[in-house]
This record gives sequence, C-alpha cells and structure tokens, in this order.
Amino acid sequence: MIDVEQLRKSFNGKCALDGFTLHVGAGDLFGLVGPNGAGKTTLMKVLSTLLPVDSGTAQVGGVNVSAKAREVKRLIGYLPDQPGVYQDMSVREFLEFFADAFQLTGARHRAAVDRALERSGLAERSEDSVEQLSFGMKQRLVLAKTLLHDPKVLLLDEPATGLDPLARIELREQLKQLHAEGITILISSHILSDLEDICTQIALIGAGRNATDAEGHSVLQLRAAQTPVRIYEIEVIGDSAAAVAIVNSAAGARVLDSSMGRMVAEVTGADEQAASLLRALVVGGVNVLRFDHRALDLEERYKTVFREKNA
Amino acid sequence: MNPMIRKELRQRMRERRGWLLPSLYLVVLGAVVTFAYFLTTDRGTTTGIQGSAVGVALFLTLSYAQLALLLLLAPIFSAGSITIEKEQRTLAGLLTSLLTSGQIWWGKFVSSLLFVLLLLVTSLPVLSMAFAFGGVGPWEIFSATLTTVIILACMSAIGLYCSSAFQRSVHATAVSYATVVAITVVTAIIFFVRLAIYESANRGQGGATGNIWYSIPLNIRAPMYVNPFFFLTASFAPLKQLYPAWFTCACLFIGIGALAVALTLRNLRRRGDF
Repeated sequence: MIDVEQLRKSFNGKCALDGFTLHVGAGDLFGLVGPNGAGKTTLMKVLSTLLPVDSGTAQVGGVNVSAKAREVKRLIGYLPDQPGVYQDMSVREFLEFFADAFQLTGARHRAAVDRALERSGLAERSEDSVEQLSFGMKQRLVLAKTLLHDPKVLLLDEPATGLDPLARIELREQLKQLHAEGITILISSHILSDLEDICTQIALIGAGRNATDAEGHSVLQLRAAQTPVRIYEIEVIGDSAAAVAIVNSAAGARVLDSSMGRMVAEVTGADEQAASLLRALVVGGVNVLRFDHRALDLEERYKTVFREKNA
Repeated sequence: MNPMIRKELRQRMRERRGWLLPSLYLVVLGAVVTFAYFLTTDRGTTTGIQGSAVGVALFLTLSYAQLALLLLLAPIFSAGSITIEKEQRTLAGLLTSLLTSGQIWWGKFVSSLLFVLLLLVTSLPVLSMAFAFGGVGPWEIFSATLTTVIILACMSAIGLYCSSAFQRSVHATAVSYATVVAITVVTAIIFFVRLAIYESANRGQGGATGNIWYSIPLNIRAPMYVNPFFFLTASFAPLKQLYPAWFTCACLFIGIGALAVALTLRNLRRRGDF
C-alpha cells in the first residue's frame, strides 16, 4: 500500500532522507521509529504530498505522490505532529469545513460529519467552540477530521505527543479499531510501548536511512502469524545435563546457552513445536520450573540499534 | 462556493476588528472631511467660494485620505492570512485536503479584499457629501474607485505573498508595510530628488511647452508609475486622457499583483517546511 524506494530529500544541503526504502502492505499497522532528526517527519510529509522529493519514488496505493498528488490526497489521511485547529469555530463548523474541503456533498457530507462527531465522542459538544476542548479532545477531533473522507491510508506523525495516559489508551484503542476496519496505518512515535502494543511491524530509521538491528533487520516483526525462530528460557530443578540432551535431540530445537539449571533454547517452528519440546522434557523426567518465550522487547531492540550507532 | 471564502469571512467577522476597524475608519475619514471642509471654506470671507470648488476639494481630500488609510489597513488583513495558518498549524490540513493551492489563495484573497472593499463601501455616505456640493461627476467617482480597487487588490496580493514567504505574521506584516512605504514614499523621494537634479542641470534652456509631466524624461518619471497616489491622480484625468499615464500604472500594478499571485501559489505548492 505504501512503497518508498531509495528516497532522498535535502534541505539546504542537509540530507533529511538518504536513500530510505519502505514497503507497507495493505491493512498493516506499521510503526516508524528513530531518533530525533532521523527523517520520520520528512518521510510523512513526502507521503502526504507536502514535500517534493529530490530523487527516488514514493507511492501510496500504487499512485506516485509526486506525479499525482491529488489522487494521493483522496487516499490518505494525514495527522501532522502538533496538529492545529481553528479555535474560533464550533466543533461542527470545523468538521463541516473539512468535509467541504474534501468535496463531500449532500447526504454524504452530513453522514461524514455525524460519523466524525460520533467517532470523536464529541457529538454532545458539537456546538461548543473548539477553544473550549481539552488537548486530548482536540486530538480526537483532528483524527476524526482526518477520517472524514474515508481514507485508505492513515499517516500519523507522533499522534500521542502531549496526550495524558487515558487519552493515549483511547488513541491506541481507536487505532486498533481502524486497523481492524482494514485501514493501512503508518505511525511514527517515540512512545515505543504504544507502538509495541498496536503495530504489526516496525521500521527503523536513522540519519535518513534504513537502520538495522544486530541481525541486519531494518523491519522488526512484532506480530507475525508464523515466526520461524523463537527463543525460550527454560529453568529446571537439579541437573540440567539431561534437559540439555533432550532439547538438543528434539526436532527443530537446540540449546544456545546453559548454566546452573537454566538454559536458552532456540525453537524453529510454530507454537506446537515449543509445546512438544516441553512435553518431551516432562516425559523425560525433567522437573521444569519455567518455560518462557523470550521476546526481545522493542525498547531493548531500539537501544541496541541506536545506542550502538551513537556510541 | 469556495469553502475557504466561507470560512475566512466567518472567521473575520467574528474577530473584534470586524466591527472595530470600520468604526475607526469612518471616524478618521469623517474627521478628515470635516477638517477639509472648514479649511476650504474658511478664507476670511465665504463670499466668492463656489460650491463646486468645495465639492472638488472634499472629493480629492477624501480620495487621497481614503487611499492612505486603506494602504495602511490592507497589510493587516492580507499579510497575516497565511502565516496564521502556519502559526496555528492548520496549513498542513488545508494542503492535504482536496482544496487546490489556487482555491486556498483565492479564499484568502477574496476575504482580505472584501474586507477592505467593505471599508470603501462604508465611506460612500461620506463621499456623497462631496457630491452634494457639485463639481464632481459619476466618472470621477468611478475612475477613482476603480483605481483604488486595483491598488488594493495589488497590495493584498503582495501581502499574501509575504504571508506565504514568512513563518510569522509579524515578519510578513512588517515586510508588507515596508513595501507600502517603498512604493509610496521611496518612489516619490527618488522622483523629486532626480527631478530637482534634472531641473538644476537644465535651468535656462527654456520652459517646457504642452504637458509638463511628459516633458520630464521617462527615466525620471518611471518610479512614479508604481506610486499609488500618482496612479490615483492619473485617474482624475478625463477618459480620453487616461492613456498613457493611467494605463501604464494600471498595467504595472496588475503585473506586480499577478507576479505576487504566481509566487504565492509556488510557495503554497512547494513548501511543506512549515
């Protein structure tokens, strides 16, 4: 749905994007992480047709953003970092103006505005001035405005910045809902726990380029249906030699590290493979105290990628 | 209707200056006309003063005062028009909607100009006082109003260009005012200084015959063709004498305005760095 190939963009000789490449599939909820100045906002602006590119290609839904900006605008909903609102309008006037701006007319116009009011939870405050809304409410209003024309792709640049914990939770739930509705979402954020909670994949960006982790991955799979290799931490009571032997003899499993009744094992295959390994250990007479899937969390992976590069 | 125009007009009329500025404008204009009236009629004795002379004096005073006031007010409406969208971070929302850059510009331009034209219209009752005295015909009113509208449209276009080029309203407004000063004061200073030099160099070579203005070399006259007050003065000529001075001014003002429009649209299309 989003295809970015070797994108380059400079500002006064300073390179903001330096050959960045990204492919986001239809229906994905894709995260974009990187330090400040990595090029996230520039990428979002390019995809939302606000900035022309120096070289490379960027396509949304198969449409080139440079050549056919108007068609791309019909496909996307863009929420910039620190989005603004017209303080002197009422909530309904604000939504009606943008419904007009997206050329919605007649029944579709009314339905879109009513749906946006409902979606933002501001139906009862539709005649209130936007100025009277809290920051979180304004953010919900702007997101609802972004969805007025039923975009296929959402581009969200730091949408959770400045939100209180409750508003962040609401935003996460709303994004999960939109994802469930089949909308493709590209979201940049510094709040890694939020991304980890909602995203299916995360792209790493640093200095305008694709950053890679220790295994050379520039895209981290967070919620893949079938992860081929998983790491398990196993703790046993007593002598672990027998347990090591059982693991190493099991199909698709091998011990990576073991000491003092603890071992780290790699299991290739689906969850059933791990279940059969656990069964083999128990049937083999090993007293298993703990058998945990160890996922390297996003924060650790982020630190590994970007701290090492900065060091 | 362009949604930008509806939005802009709604927002403008909700501002306090929506009623404050027209009120102040009329007070100042009324004071100027009153002052001009007493100045014209107070010559020790009122005998011998033609009503038409008073009418012409009031009309000229009103026309120039009106232009001066509107030149001061036009940047307020136009120069902050796009920068306010940048400052309140709403420009990205506009540019990623299906509104074209042209529609955004047109909405801003129409709302800025309409407000200035509103001031022009509200001054009509004051202008009718000059009518009452005679000496001023519909043609003079029409040509002066048309000229004022062309000048204000050009200044609004320049203000919008400044608004698209700068990030902050204060900078855009300052540069807009600098432009107003440049075309009104600086051009006049350049003209009069060069004219004085020219006249001192050509003293004793005989006086000019026919139209004095056209006896001045074009390179000395040139700066005045972009001076709004000269443009307005040229509009007072009879219809058959509007060419070449008034037409030259009109072409230059429309040309400058068109250039400002093109540059503004380019800025709106190409700049996402707000």
